[in-house]
Amino acid sequence: MADLSLNLAGIKSPNPFWLASAPPTNSGYQVQRAFEAGWGGAVWKTLGEPILNVSSRFAAVDFNGKNVAGFNNIELITDRPLEVNLKEIYETKKKYPNHAIIASLMVEPTQEKWHEIVKKVEDVGVDGLELNFGCPHGMAERGMGAASGQVPELVEKQTMWAKEVAQTPVIVKLTPNITDITFTAEAAVNGGADAVSMINTINSLAGVDLDSWDTVPNVAGKGAHGGYCGPAVKPIALNMVAECARHPKINVPISGMGGVSSWREAVEFMLMGATGVQVCTAAMHHGFSIVEDMIEGLDNYLEDKGMDSVMDIVGKSVEKYSDWGNLDLNHQVVAKINNEVCINCNKCHIACEDTSHQCIDMLKDAEGNDILKVREEDCVGCNLCSIVCPVDGAIDMVEYANGKPPMTWNERQAAIGAASSCDVNLIK
Amino acid sequence: MSDHREFEAEREKIDFLLEKGYVIKGVTENLSGAFLEFEYKGNEHDQPGKERLHILHPDSRKYFSTILVQQQKKQGVK
Ligand SMILES: Cc1cc2nc3c(=O)[nH]c(=O)nc-3n(C[C@H](O)[C@H](O)[C@H](O)COP(=O)(O)O)c2cc1C
Repeated sequence: MADLSLNLAGIKSPNPFWLASAPPTNSGYQVQRAFEAGWGGAVWKTLGEPILNVSSRFAAVDFNGKNVAGFNNIELITDRPLEVNLKEIYETKKKYPNHAIIASLMVEPTQEKWHEIVKKVEDVGVDGLELNFGCPHGMAERGMGAASGQVPELVEKQTMWAKEVAQTPVIVKLTPNITDITFTAEAAVNGGADAVSMINTINSLAGVDLDSWDTVPNVAGKGAHGGYCGPAVKPIALNMVAECARHPKINVPISGMGGVSSWREAVEFMLMGATGVQVCTAAMHHGFSIVEDMIEGLDNYLEDKGMDSVMDIVGKSVEKYSDWGNLDLNHQVVAKINNEVCINCNKCHIACEDTSHQCIDMLKDAEGNDILKVREEDCVGCNLCSIVCPVDGAIDMVEYANGKPPMTWNERQAAIGAASSCDVNLIK
Repeated sequence: MSDHREFEAEREKIDFLLEKGYVIKGVTENLSGAFLEFEYKGNEHDQPGKERLHILHPDSRKYFSTILVQQQKKQGVK
C-alpha cells in the first residue's frame, strides 16, 4: 500500500480525506464515527457565538434523473455553546490522537475576539485552525464570513490577529464569491496564513416552485440566498485551487474542496496543487462510508502510477495550467467518426449543423447504409460532437498533424507589433 | 464556397505575393479582420510596389501570423 499520509503545513493526518466544516462535523459523536469509518481528519463545524437556524435549510438541484447534482443550504455556523464543542473536541482528540482535528472559527472582525477564541480552542488540543471567511449567508449580514472574506484588507488583518496568538497552523478558508480569489488568497498569505483552503459555498438560489411561486428552499414562504456546493461546483473550485497554486505569491499549501465525491476528484484537486481535500456534500449524500472507496481508489491509482506517496502527486499538473494567450493556436484536433460503433442517432450532425461549424455530412456508404463523415478540413476541433455523442468510442478527437510550428496568441501579437514598429525584412 | 475553400483562396493570395518577393510590412487588425500591407523593394527587372490584402478567414489570419513569427524568429527580431 502507498503512503497516504498527509502533511499540510505541519498538520498530519493518516490520509488526505478530511471532512469539511459542516453538518457532518457538528459533534464529537459524528467526528468519532467519521474517524472510525476511515476519514483522516475533520474540520469541526464552525465555532463562534452560537447562532439560531431556520427550518427548512437545504435544497438540492437534480439533473437528468441524478439527484444532488448540486446542493444548497441556508444553515449558519454552530448553534451549540463553545464549551460544549470544546469538551467534545478534547475527548475526540484524546481518543484519536493520530487523526487531524481542525477548529473552524468565525468571530466579529476585532483583534480581541480573535485572540479570545484562538486561545480557547487551542487549549483543548486542536491540530490547527481554519478561519471561516466564506459563509455566504446570515453571518455575512453580520459582517462576518464572506462579508469579511471579500475584502482583502480584512482577510489580512484577521489572519494577522489569529496568527498573533496561534500556536498551531492557521488555514484561511476563502469564499468563492469574489471575482478573483487570488486577491484574497494573497491577502491571507500576507497576514501570515500557513495554508489556505477553498472553496466555501457559492451564492445561490436553488429554484422557484412553479405552482406556489415560493423559493426553494423557503421558510414560511420566504427565501434568502444560500450557498451552493456538491458535484456541480467542482470545476469552479478546481479552477480556483489551480489559480492559487500557480500564483507566485501564494506559496502556502492549499486544502481543496468543492464537489469532491470520489477519489477521482480528490486526485484532480491534488494534481492541481491541493495538499489534501475536504468533503461535505458527498458525505451528506452517501454517509461516512464513502471514504473506504476513496482510500482504496487512491491507493490503486498510486500503485498504477508506480508512486509511493500521495504527497508526490501534489501539484503535478500545475505547470500545465496557464493563460489562454500561451496556448498553441496551430495545434489542431479533428473529429473521427467510427461508423462501426455509431448508432446513427445523428446527434453529432445536428449539434454541428445547428450550433457549430457544419462539417459532419450524412452520407450513404457503398452498400447504401447511412453513415456520418467529418470533413476534416472544416472541422475546428471544438469537441462538441464527441460531447453530445451517447455512444462510447463512436467519435474520437484525434490530433491532426498539420505540420505548422507552434504559435501562441502572445507570440502572434508580439510579432505583429514588431512588424509594424520596425523594418523587418520578411522574405519568404 | 465551403469555409475551407475561403481559407485556401486567401492563402493563395498571400502565397502569391510572398513568392513574387513581397514582404509583409504591417498588419492592422480591426472589426473587419486583418489588413496586410505588402511591400516589394524591386530589383533590376521589376519596379518597387505596394499591395494590400484584406484577410477575413480565421485560418488565414493564423497562417500569415505563423509566417510572420517564423520569419522574425529566423531574423532574431525580439
Ligand atoms: C449544510 C452546510 C453547512 C455548511 N456549514 C459550514 C460551516 O459552518 N463552516 C464552513 O466553513 N463551511 C461550511 N459549509 C461549506 C463546506 O464546508 C464546504 O466548503 C462546501 O460545502 C464545499 O464542499 P462540498 O462540495 O464537498 O460540499 C457548509 C456546507 C453545507 C452544505
